[in-house]
Amino acid sequence: MQFKSILEELAATKFRKNIERELEDYFEDSGYWMIEPKIFQSYDEFVCSNLRTDSKKTVKVLSGNSEVYILRPDITMNVLRKIFSKWENDKPLKVYYNSKIYLNNENYNIKEMRQMGIEYLGEDSLLADQEMITMAVNLMKKIDRPFILELGSSKYLDSYFEEIDVDIELEIKIKNYIAKKNKHGLKSLLKKNNIKSLLLENILTMQGDMEEVINQAREYPMNIGMQNALKELEDLKDIFASNKMIPYIHFDLSMIADLDYYDGIIFKGYYFQSNKKILSGGRYDRLTEKFGEKASAIGFSVDMDEFVGLLLKEAK
Amino acid sequence: MDKLTIALAKGRLADEGLKLFEKYDLVSNIDQESRKLKFTNNEKNITFIFVKPSDVITYVEKGVADIGIVGKDILLESESDVYEIMDLGFGKCKFSIAGFKEQSIFKKNEVLKIATKYPNYVYSIFKERDQKIEVIKLNGSVELAPIMGLADVIVDIVQTGSTLKANDLVVLEDLEDISARLIANKVSYRFKFGLIEQIEEILGGK
Repeated sequence: MQFKSILEELAATKFRKNIERELEDYFEDSGYWMIEPKIFQSYDEFVCSNLRTDSKKTVKVLSGNSEVYILRPDITMNVLRKIFSKWENDKPLKVYYNSKIYLNNENYNIKEMRQMGIEYLGEDSLLADQEMITMAVNLMKKIDRPFILELGSSKYLDSYFEEIDVDIELEIKIKNYIAKKNKHGLKSLLKKNNIKSLLLENILTMQGDMEEVINQAREYPMNIGMQNALKELEDLKDIFASNKMIPYIHFDLSMIADLDYYDGIIFKGYYFQSNKKILSGGRYDRLTEKFGEKASAIGFSVDMDEFVGLLLKEAK
Repeated sequence: MDKLTIALAKGRLADEGLKLFEKYDLVSNIDQESRKLKFTNNEKNITFIFVKPSDVITYVEKGVADIGIVGKDILLESESDVYEIMDLGFGKCKFSIAGFKEQSIFKKNEVLKIATKYPNYVYSIFKERDQKIEVIKLNGSVELAPIMGLADVIVDIVQTGSTLKANDLVVLEDLEDISARLIANKVSYRFKFGLIEQIEEILGGK
């Protein structure tokens, strides 16, 4: 944001700090501990667990012995590294961070972005899923304008890909078309590669009302993974109903997460007339394995630059 | 009805698109000959804006327009963060490599010089091929480049091939089918999902 004077800028900083404190209080009152993750991470490690990520966007740095590191493009990985070096598997752990991520923007300048977020580890999946979605909705309610929480599951499609015979390169191509909501492109790619899949052809219609979409999905044969994915989503229904969250939820089984490590429910929050994705998160049990042990893990992060910007507009 | 803003690329794609919208009375008193760039149909809550083809993506990506009609060639050239929700089926042409007759597009150890208006697209195509290239970015009359010795071949959109013919060039390889696409802003797609679905139906003639 541009400011006319230093005082105006400092006033905005103060405004932002107050909001951050408010969120920190909310997280701490809900039993979350503050954690301060490292700023660097290994380039190889990041690329290995995020096959679809454009590596041009990450900011590289060289260590003294010429190993390549990146400035963290997301915070979860470094939070996990810190926790799993001393992990005690039998105890659930809740943490939150107030931090920054770094990415190259379109003009290849380094962009610093503020993020706050929470992670819930080692808890029964359903309980943690419910708490995460509830906290996400509560957070979105802090700004007085319409919002939508987009909800899907990366486990659903990933389990389907285990079922069919496509190599990883083709799988990435298919996912990229789905992520672009590109029906015709998807169709012609499937045809070109001789893949006959009614599910993939119709995946982009599987969005809207939760019950309708789940019924639609039931019309296709499912393996265990896909059944579990749907069950995990259905299990959230009660909490949606009891907390009057249904109007905010837009269900989408064709959702593809921006980062590949998610393997369960995924969600993104948008505000009306704000062109940014404000909140994004999901379940990532699979990722914890890379740090030693498989544990239940879910979390989300909030784009604080946009969040504070919208509140600042509201205050004016 | 929610408000909807549609970005159109001045020219043939806008004409074809407007024809479809006209059928459903979504368009009123748009005069493309005038210099006015923004037309609002208050009754239907629809605004049309007319911009340069490559700017359609920018307007939609930034959320100033909810949806837009743009050629696939422009989508392939720019890395954009928009949904590409529909192939509209008009404005058909092809991305092709063109050059002199019987010319090879593989030069073993030499650099192949390629003139084009679409440098990013050319790099992406040749990334998978074992051929060193030099891309020369031009803004128009690309066909002139091989004739004048500026480049070995060109990569451009080819519709009828008459411009190529007039300049003694031929298509050496077809790369990709191009047509007009309906694109949508990611946030608009969520908040105006029903409305955008309606527009899809209108444009699909369903």
